[in-house]
Amino acid sequence: MKYCVLVAYVPDTASIIKIGGAGNRIDEGGIKWIISPYDEFALEEAIRLKEARGGEVTVITYGPDRGSTGLRECLARGADRAVHVMGGEATFGDAFAIARVLAAAVQKAGPFDLILCGIKGVGSDQSLVGAMVAELLDVPHVSGVVKLEVGEGSLTAQRDVEGGTEVFTAPLPCLVAAHKGLNEPRYPSLKGIMAAKKIPIETWKPADLGLDEAALGGAEATSRWLKLELPAAKAGGTILNGEEDPAGAARELARLLRHEAKAI
Amino acid sequence: MAYQADMRDVLFQLFEWLPTRELLAHERFSEWDPDSVQMVLQEALKLSQEVLGPANVEGDRVGARWENGKVYLPPSFHDAYQKIKEGGWIGCINNPEYGGMGLPEVIGTAVNEFFFGSNISLSLTALLTRGAGYLVEKFGTDEMRQLFCERMYSGQWAGTMCLTEPQAGSDVGASKTRAIKQPNGRYLIQGEKIFITSGDQDLTENIIHAVLARTPDAEPGTKGLSLFVVPKYRVNPDGSLGEFNDVACSNIEHKLGIHGSPTCSLVFGQNDACEGFLLGQEQEGMKLMFYMMNPARIEVGLQGAALAAAAYQAALAYAKTRLQGRHYSKLKDADAPQVAIIEHPDVRRMLFTSNAYVHAMRALLMQTSYYVDMSRLSEGEEAERYQSYVDVLTPICKAWASDWGFRVTEWCLQVFGGYGYTMEYPAEQYLRDAKIASIYEGTNGIQALDFVARKLPLKGGKPIRDLLGKAEETFKKLRNDPQLMEPAWMLAAALKQIEDLSKGLGKRPDAMMVVLLNSVPLLDMVGDVLGAHFLLEQAIVAREKLAAIFAAKGVDASDKKACRAVIEDDGEAAFYHNKVQLAIHFAYRVLPGVTAKAVAIRAGEMAPMEAVL
Ligand SMILES: Cc1cc2nc3c(=O)[nH]c(=O)nc-3n(C[C@H](O)[C@H](O)[C@H](O)COP(=O)(O)OP(=O)(O)OC[C@H]3O[C@@H](n4cnc5c(N)ncnc54)[C@H](O)[C@@H]3O)c2cc1C
Ligand SMILES: Cc1cc2nc3c(=O)[nH]c(=O)nc-3n(C[C@H](O)[C@H](O)[C@H](O)COP(=O)(O)OP(=O)(O)OC[C@H]3O[C@@H](n4cnc5c(N)ncnc54)[C@H](O)[C@@H]3O)c2cc1C
Repeated sequence: MKYCVLVAYVPDTASIIKIGGAGNRIDEGGIKWIISPYDEFALEEAIRLKEARGGEVTVITYGPDRGSTGLRECLARGADRAVHVMGGEATFGDAFAIARVLAAAVQKAGPFDLILCGIKGVGSDQSLVGAMVAELLDVPHVSGVVKLEVGEGSLTAQRDVEGGTEVFTAPLPCLVAAHKGLNEPRYPSLKGIMAAKKIPIETWKPADLGLDEAALGGAEATSRWLKLELPAAKAGGTILNGEEDPAGAARELARLLRHEAKAI
Repeated sequence: MAYQADMRDVLFQLFEWLPTRELLAHERFSEWDPDSVQMVLQEALKLSQEVLGPANVEGDRVGARWENGKVYLPPSFHDAYQKIKEGGWIGCINNPEYGGMGLPEVIGTAVNEFFFGSNISLSLTALLTRGAGYLVEKFGTDEMRQLFCERMYSGQWAGTMCLTEPQAGSDVGASKTRAIKQPNGRYLIQGEKIFITSGDQDLTENIIHAVLARTPDAEPGTKGLSLFVVPKYRVNPDGSLGEFNDVACSNIEHKLGIHGSPTCSLVFGQNDACEGFLLGQEQEGMKLMFYMMNPARIEVGLQGAALAAAAYQAALAYAKTRLQGRHYSKLKDADAPQVAIIEHPDVRRMLFTSNAYVHAMRALLMQTSYYVDMSRLSEGEEAERYQSYVDVLTPICKAWASDWGFRVTEWCLQVFGGYGYTMEYPAEQYLRDAKIASIYEGTNGIQALDFVARKLPLKGGKPIRDLLGKAEETFKKLRNDPQLMEPAWMLAAALKQIEDLSKGLGKRPDAMMVVLLNSVPLLDMVGDVLGAHFLLEQAIVAREKLAAIFAAKGVDASDKKACRAVIEDDGEAAFYHNKVQLAIHFAYRVLPGVTAKAVAIRAGEMAPMEAVL
């Protein structure tokens, strides 16, 4: 079995986000980068499948230089092969452009029996790339998977929906987008980190995949980020002093709830 | 509050101050490189924050439990132990030939800062396992090495260090545990050891005790002690476990801190069925035991530093959120809003002094670990020179870092106000857990005696002169420096005090008494001077990097306002700026104390001896 995992290297959710660039990007200074947590579930599942039934796990990322650090971590956890498609500045945030690059990379690196990714990338949270890659590759996909069984030539995947679960079967090859709960990702071991150092990371450019990144991010872009804004700072609370005039304070509270907060 | 660590400074000290890059280029470390080592550090920190740290509270509140001769640790400790074992962290610095991971000591020190800081109780088991495994590796027979080392370095079995007995604490030579040679070459071990860390636990299937005991006609005192390996369960030739080896745990201590670390009384051979294996020769046990004790002393110093670092991070985070009092610029304005206490000068002082000591302790421990690595990488005279530095610095690491580490946890608790005194916040546990570091592995009083009686005179005093000579170099680099000249001259003054004492004390008729009475302050003075020297050296590096940031941003270094704006906006610039401020603060606040102590010592003040106690 050949498994492919698509990973994004994203800002740690614990980072303090500042707006930078032309107001449509985050300021990358001082940001700590991590493998997107949903992608960790995808990777863990692939490694478990490999451990249980043999095979090979390839990880692919599309992004700037730092992405290699993320790939190294994937190798340290047990992936066998890593492909870094360099770039991403021009196509930043455009899910369709990213999906085109990834689909082309999967095609070039493959064939694969199973392609896994996270249900969404922390940061842009669009949940689009997995489905788009599947469409571009013309394979079925199941998204938001919390339980997965892979058989001969097909898989059974479970996803949580409002008030219940859905169970799907799909033929292989297939793309699965992992959700929280699929597994508990492991920590890389020191042996794994040592071994990862010895595996060369293959670096490709979009041009190697027959794609023109400038066009992807320019004329062919399907969406563009215009502006980012931080959530408005929380206003301080209002304290009504009720010691002297409890009835008055209660009236004022009711008024505020009705007219200001519009809660009643 | 989750465990936090200063990864930025750890990386600075490793890669911008020490030549760790060059160290990693050595063929001995060919399995590693700067990138993979950085991943090691990231993962160690992640484990500390996500696994070890969360278990630390349960370790304290539930603690180790003794029941019917067996010790039980809380469930979270089992999970955490499993994870550090699977990751290969227990033997991270040990010999790869026996399943260790072969990381340099200096990287081990960084990893262990995170492990100790997030959960010292659990980490002690790993510390002792590494050390006991090393004794077997170095002094055991081939068969013992094959049977024990890999199983220990992998964490499958754990180790302990058994010296203390009721009448033999600091006075190890008073040990009575007996070892009687059997016809098969093994020894029957009989006696009672107390205060044995991890003497029993339910994390591992076997425990390998390193035990000091006395053969029947051995000399009295430490000279007559021999070193034995005593497994809890006997080990079959194929490594499987045999019968119980008659090592009983009769109770555990109830104590101030490290509740998750069982402190055990062990009874060896109460049924005449406890067998041990001699390491090395009879009656050289004490000498061999130092191969476990010396690294452990450095690691106990690290315990002080690591808990101080953790306490500082917690206090810093708290001070940013706790609103109390008005801003100092608005003291007269009754309507001024409450501000975060980090705005108050006194709180800033407590935090900053804490952090200055933390950086200085980290530097001392990293520098010493680096010398350990160099003593192994070099040969002949050079190796001896590095080893002599390690010998001199070991008691300073142990005593200086554990004493000041504990004090830092106290200052950090103070930052929390009344909340620090409660169990709602981690400050009080850091303080309780840190205290033991000044007591075990030889009390700090014993360290100071070792320092003045053995380490200062070592090789005619050359190693200590070399080490202080490096501080002198730092002074020379900064003697005319507009920003750092005053701290530099304070360093020179402190060095002069130490030099005068070293020349003058020996000539006094009461020299012996003056030295015995002042061994702890003498060690402290050298620790203070080294701390200031390290921080000033680091400040020089930091200042260059800061200047480069200004230049890259096109900011004129003489434009104070513009520089300030960069420092406030750019995290890297702020880090380097703070490094310089920490060095200045440490010099002003600590170095005058060196002179003050010297005055008292030179005066020959003897009141404690004159008094009737
Ligand atoms: C939690 C804990 C864990 C421990 N773990 C271990 C372990 O794993 N293995 C092990 O073998 N031991 C262990 N110990 C024992 C520890 O090493 C001893 O407690 C320590 O060496 C001090 O011995 P003592 O308690 O008998 O104190 P004492 O020796 O009675 O010392 C009391 C005081 O007198 C001072 N003093 C004693 N003799 C002298 C002297 N000659 N000159 C000047 N001052 C002196 C000491 O500095 C100290 O301040 C542990 C202890 C504790 C509390
Ligand atoms: C065991 C215990 C018993 C107690 N008993 C009583 C009692 O019987 N009655 C009672 O009324 N209270 C009692 N207290 C409360 C105690 O008096 C307060 O905890 C104490 O006054 C500190 O206040 P705080 O805890 O809010 O700390 P904070 O005021 O938040 O102080 C935190 C830190 O900030 C510093 N700080 C705060 N404001 C300033 C400022 N303006 N300038 C400079 N530094 C500042 C403090 O010095 C401290 O280091 C008790 C507390 C404890 C823990």
